[in-house]
Amino acid sequence: MSKQAKKKANWGVSYGEMVSHEFVKSKLNVVCLVFIVFLFAVAVLAPFLANDKPFVIRIDGQLHFPVFKSLRASDYCIFLAAIVGIVQLLLIRRNRRRVDPSIRGAVLWRQICISSSIIFVGVILIFVFVPRRLDATDYKAMVASGRASGAVFAPIPYGYARTDLKSREQPPSREHWLGTDDVGSDVLCRLIYGSRISLSVGFVAVGISSVIGIAVGAILGYFGGKVDFIGMRIVEMMMAIPVFFLIITIVAFFPRSLLNIMIIIGITSWTGDARFIRAEFFKLRKQDFVQAAVSLGLPLRSILFRHMLPNGIAPVLVNATFGIAGAIFIEAALSFLGFGVAPPTPSWGQMLSLGVSTTGRFLWWLTLFPGLAIFFTVMAYNLVGEALRDALDPKLRIQ
Amino acid sequence: MNDNQTLLSVENVSTHFFTEDGVARAVQDVSFSIKKAKTFALVGESGCGKSVTALSIMRLIPTPPGQIVGGNIVFEGRNLLTLSEKQIRQVRGNRIAMIFQEPMTSLNPVYTVGNQIVEAIRLHQKKSIRDAWKDAAETLRKVGIADPEQRVSEYPHQMSGGMRQRVMIAMAVSCEPRLLIADEPTTALDVTIQAQILDLLDELQKQNGMSILLITHDLGVVAERADDVAVMYASRIVEVADSQKLFAEPLHPYTQGLLKSLPRLGLSAKRLQTISGTVPDPLHFPGGCKFHPRCCVGCSDKRCQTVEPRLMEVRSGRHVACWYAKGYEEK
Repeated sequence: MSKQAKKKANWGVSYGEMVSHEFVKSKLNVVCLVFIVFLFAVAVLAPFLANDKPFVIRIDGQLHFPVFKSLRASDYCIFLAAIVGIVQLLLIRRNRRRVDPSIRGAVLWRQICISSSIIFVGVILIFVFVPRRLDATDYKAMVASGRASGAVFAPIPYGYARTDLKSREQPPSREHWLGTDDVGSDVLCRLIYGSRISLSVGFVAVGISSVIGIAVGAILGYFGGKVDFIGMRIVEMMMAIPVFFLIITIVAFFPRSLLNIMIIIGITSWTGDARFIRAEFFKLRKQDFVQAAVSLGLPLRSILFRHMLPNGIAPVLVNATFGIAGAIFIEAALSFLGFGVAPPTPSWGQMLSLGVSTTGRFLWWLTLFPGLAIFFTVMAYNLVGEALRDALDPKLRIQ
Repeated sequence: MNDNQTLLSVENVSTHFFTEDGVARAVQDVSFSIKKAKTFALVGESGCGKSVTALSIMRLIPTPPGQIVGGNIVFEGRNLLTLSEKQIRQVRGNRIAMIFQEPMTSLNPVYTVGNQIVEAIRLHQKKSIRDAWKDAAETLRKVGIADPEQRVSEYPHQMSGGMRQRVMIAMAVSCEPRLLIADEPTTALDVTIQAQILDLLDELQKQNGMSILLITHDLGVVAERADDVAVMYASRIVEVADSQKLFAEPLHPYTQGLLKSLPRLGLSAKRLQTISGTVPDPLHFPGGCKFHPRCCVGCSDKRCQTVEPRLMEVRSGRHVACWYAKGYEEK
């Protein structure tokens, strides 16, 4: 056992470990990271935090579990992805400690393959087997009329699509902690569900733009010459287009779905990544270890993405973090202008736009709370991005 | 030239770089051959085309601007210059391996050294990861790294320059190549490590019978280690000979100058001799023999200024490119 421990202590410190060590040095970074993790938790657990269906209810002497019945296929997909993701992260931690470095890469690769196939198969199964249910029963009315008893509700016992014209445009109260909007929906409930939209837009849009940006930048940077010249002119043309107006134009032509917004933000914002990766690859392709990799007879794919990319990924990683903040911002702006997801799907920007009601009254709770949510989320991502930039910068690190 | 003893023969190879300022003729009409299990040294000043020659053999010339404009490079009966990109990749690392001058930057900083050796092994040999990993540790032991089981899982930044160069050599020899190109393998290392690395190369050569193309500007290294020597000056080979013969009786004025400018033990000269002048710019080579502006023999000779001498055999085993070399004119 002591031999095992000694061996473990002597394993080399990987680049990732050095960066994460540098990252957690500042308390603010950790706070921001915790905030982002909290947002994720809220987004994933939204149906359990805010739901007009009770967890448990006794109707005519029989126990029912309406929350679980009301979960939709997309909810199950999110749970599955979250669980697999957490397990994968724990496995990576375990790999660090338990698995010999010689096979760590192969083990990790196998785990990621298994995880992604579980998610893939799971999503298909969920969509096949989970029926589309619409449970329109008003459980609260049943409790009030005495037909049902022993109901346990979620902390915020409202659905995000609830309309209640009797309680519209109400300021924060004990009943509605953050007030209600123009159709009487609970603001806190809509904020919670809105975090799903914001986070998924951020990640998927940045995912799309990073993949395009890295692929284009890698090819331009590695080959250089004419390829680079023509490619860069195209990139510059893309950059010259005012993206926000392009997005508004495109959104006007296509149906207002979340996926469309993600794709449009993704395919219009890859130019920065492409330029970063191109610059890094220009620098890297003259490096000796790249020459050495070529002289070993490695195929181009391996040279570009196994040997060059990990050495040049830092600026893209930082840019991606800022990009998530930017995408959240663009989505909020689009929704604010009425080009975002269609109601009743909640979105922070859309809620913000309801701050001035049709009657001309200024509903401060509808401006303040979604505004704060956007503000803190964007700020957290930006601070994490900056912290990452510092942690990844070898010049600032003392060897 | 293509007998059984020859592993690699370079025939009239020219490599040019087409730059905006004009054509840089980095390598012109270079021919030599490397025998099996022998060490062939390519000597010359910086910028004379040694490294470009080596990169031409590996087909690693960046194109554009560089291009191999003529000649043949025959290795194990195949012309490397006509192979497809896929075929040349199977030669690189597997049959011909290369080690570079700068060990500090020749290893990828994000992977453990074991990872990098294993990648090289698994690329060319069908082996399980565990076997390849054992091989990697074994190769590290072979190149003289202490505690290889521990060292395989370390990152390059945890090693010294000499150790990194050993790792580079381990990577290069892990697939047992027939030819190892060592491009100034010891230039960046201090003297004691230099000797160790060269001893190591000798040792490995004895063990698995590979040939070594040793590129260097250090004549001391050449004298001890090489079997054959080619001296390069301004993109051309000016003299090729057996190493002992070359040192005993240099024929080309440039070789003579190089040997005279070596510091020697026991000789109490006040000043070290030098070759006056500088290496010509590859964009504007002088006409005729490229060495004539610096030559003490033929600097005023009309023929040296106008007609470039070709490499010719002046007597058995001695090739030289100089109008004044004994026996040159008769041929």
